Amino acid sequence: MEIGVLPDPALLYLPLATYQGDMDVVVDAGQSVTMYQLVAASSGTFAATIHAPVSGEVLGVTEIAAERYLTIKNDFCYTEKALTVPDTAAWTSEDFLQYLLYAGIEGSGGARFPTHLKYRVAPSTIKTFIINGAECEPYLSADYILMKTAGAKLMAVLQIIQRMLMPDEIVLAIEQQHKELAVPLAQMAKQFGLDIALKILPNTYPQGGELQLIKSVTGIEIAKGSIPAHHGMIVSNVGTLWAMAGAFLEGKPYTERIITVSGNRSRTLGNYRVKIGTPLGHILRETQHEWNQQAQTVILGGPMMGRAAVSPLQPIHKGVGGLLLLENADPQQMNCIACGYCVDACPQHLMPLEFVRHNQEEDLHQLKAFHLEDCIACGACAYVCPSDVPLMYHIQVGKEKLRQERSDTSV
Amino acid sequence: MRLHPHITQRYNTVQFVMLDVLLALLPIMCIAWLAYGELALNIFATAVGAAIVTEFLFSGILLKRWRSVFDGSAIVTAILLACTLSPLTPWYVVAFGAFAAILFGKIVWGGLGKNRFNPALVGREFMAVFFSSIMLSPHIWTTNGLVQTATSTFFPMAADAYSEVYLQSLVYKTGGALGEYSIVALSLGGFYLLLRNRISWHIPLALLTVFIALFWLVPAAGGRQFSLAGVLLGTLFMATDMPSSPTTARGKVYYGGMIGLVAFLFILGNVRFEYMSYAILLLNGFSDRISYTFQPRVWGRSTDWKQQVEKIFVLTLSIFAVTLAVLSLYYYNLTAYVVYLYILYIIFKFNFSLHKKVNNPV
Repeated sequence: MEIGVLPDPALLYLPLATYQGDMDVVVDAGQSVTMYQLVAASSGTFAATIHAPVSGEVLGVTEIAAERYLTIKNDFCYTEKALTVPDTAAWTSEDFLQYLLYAGIEGSGGARFPTHLKYRVAPSTIKTFIINGAECEPYLSADYILMKTAGAKLMAVLQIIQRMLMPDEIVLAIEQQHKELAVPLAQMAKQFGLDIALKILPNTYPQGGELQLIKSVTGIEIAKGSIPAHHGMIVSNVGTLWAMAGAFLEGKPYTERIITVSGNRSRTLGNYRVKIGTPLGHILRETQHEWNQQAQTVILGGPMMGRAAVSPLQPIHKGVGGLLLLENADPQQMNCIACGYCVDACPQHLMPLEFVRHNQEEDLHQLKAFHLEDCIACGACAYVCPSDVPLMYHIQVGKEKLRQERSDTSV
Repeated sequence: MRLHPHITQRYNTVQFVMLDVLLALLPIMCIAWLAYGELALNIFATAVGAAIVTEFLFSGILLKRWRSVFDGSAIVTAILLACTLSPLTPWYVVAFGAFAAILFGKIVWGGLGKNRFNPALVGREFMAVFFSSIMLSPHIWTTNGLVQTATSTFFPMAADAYSEVYLQSLVYKTGGALGEYSIVALSLGGFYLLLRNRISWHIPLALLTVFIALFWLVPAAGGRQFSLAGVLLGTLFMATDMPSSPTTARGKVYYGGMIGLVAFLFILGNVRFEYMSYAILLLNGFSDRISYTFQPRVWGRSTDWKQQVEKIFVLTLSIFAVTLAVLSLYYYNLTAYVVYLYILYIIFKFNFSLHKKVNNPV
């Protein structure tokens, strides 16, 4: 198994949405850009940047599925902006953080939290730096393939992180199903002079969830909403480290990532290196599929937490780990039979069935009393529900109502 | 709106849940068939037939909820009801019981899952009230002459040896309701449900532990008669009924334990035959409150123990109060009025919620 490379598309749609808010475009329509040139950025607390993955012409901002994207027309010349490999040996921790922001590094696990913010911690407060190699979503294997094929790069990045954050220990967490990676990775760490502890985790879902991972690795249970760094922990995804490798070792900003193309309707399973902004319609074409909403659902991300695509123009963004083609589900919705499977399955120890009940009754007080805000939206409850009760729908709507109420009262 | 997750467990639907319960009931039905032949099969068939017809007429034609006709729950309810009946119960009484179980136990609540009380037991109580002379007559329990396969055929050796009697009572011993002939068959079904995760161990373990411990510890219980197989049937198949039992693990432990305790109190209070049904129905009424009181501790957050203990205390007190009330009603022969009240309540509730909730899946 290795990482495939797909031809680049003629048009790329760079997502302007970030962890919070939208980025401002810093190039003009009609302007030609070089590869790796900064095209949009935002300032403020949750600052972010995005760079052109190819050279070509800026066509302007379009809206796809209610989100804003910057369109770039590929000229297939790949005129590169001159890259300078940073002198990481001379970095101060501020240089390090600035470079993370400059290169547009953000969490590639899905939430897209800016990495430079995550790593901004008081000196020597980090006890455990956890590398999240537990790709618990079914079908996805992008992180696995990175650990298998790009181990050396990951270790080189870890050397830098080790020097900058100075954690007491670095733990690489992988799932039981990938435990054959443990020995080669441990050997590689030794070659790089790194002292990395390997932690083999059970194959449960959602093992890769930050809170669950922290518990599995350190035994500490932190509540949703509290910041791991305040407890002396930082969790970073393997994909994020790989993006950092491109930046630190070659001076490339985050403009491409590895995604898994898979699913029960997929004819070409595999991992591919694609440019950020590649529309999924293009990926489907290049992997002998087509956009056919009647026959299949295309999912950006994993089957548990990914989002169903509504347009073939929707592109790969920095937090998408896969493109899945799944048979259209035909849920046979029935009455909730109060089996309690959802309660057993909930990793946050909540009672999902109560959210449905109280959301229907518009009882915000009860929604809060049952701790809806602690839900991490992993979808485990809906997965095990024998009645196919639309649990995630009611959870989402309920959360929206609570958000609404909060903003009403704060005014 | 298409929402995640985009996959679900494949062989885990309501139909599969019901199928598993049916498979678990199969050994019991086989033993009943062995014991009474066609007589037993007729009871099962009458109950199932009446239940399906009721579901079809009321849920299908009247409420246009056709899907519920095929979910298999009517069959499960009917067989469970039949398991609590004597093989000599007249067919029209059985049919009435199944009809009441489905209509008053389930449909008027809004269908499978919305019922608060175990439908099979509701059906049984309706029979006891509306056909009390038949249900309470000793005649329907004198079935010795009709046994097709005698207990001794299983153990042709010395039938009077202590170990033989012991074995018989575990494996095959006719007497009592159709579902009570074999502790082994009952346990087999229970283990199957446990393995398939259709019931959790919390309720049966807590219930049996409390019940048996009380019999050992309380001297006043000495000499009181109860049917262990009957308790087991109630424990494994009735108390664990999904819609009418709590949803949280700790809630299930409390619920099971309280059923054991209340059933024991009923036996002490001279409630005959119905102690298990009453105990389960009584706790059914508290099941939601138990779930809420025993909410799991949310990830990363701590529990307010003082408040928790207070809640549990009040809850336990209310359960004791209701137990006492039921005991006094039983003492004065007034339990029938509970069923009349139930009918009034449920009709009121049904009219009230018909338009709002009947086609709402939750």
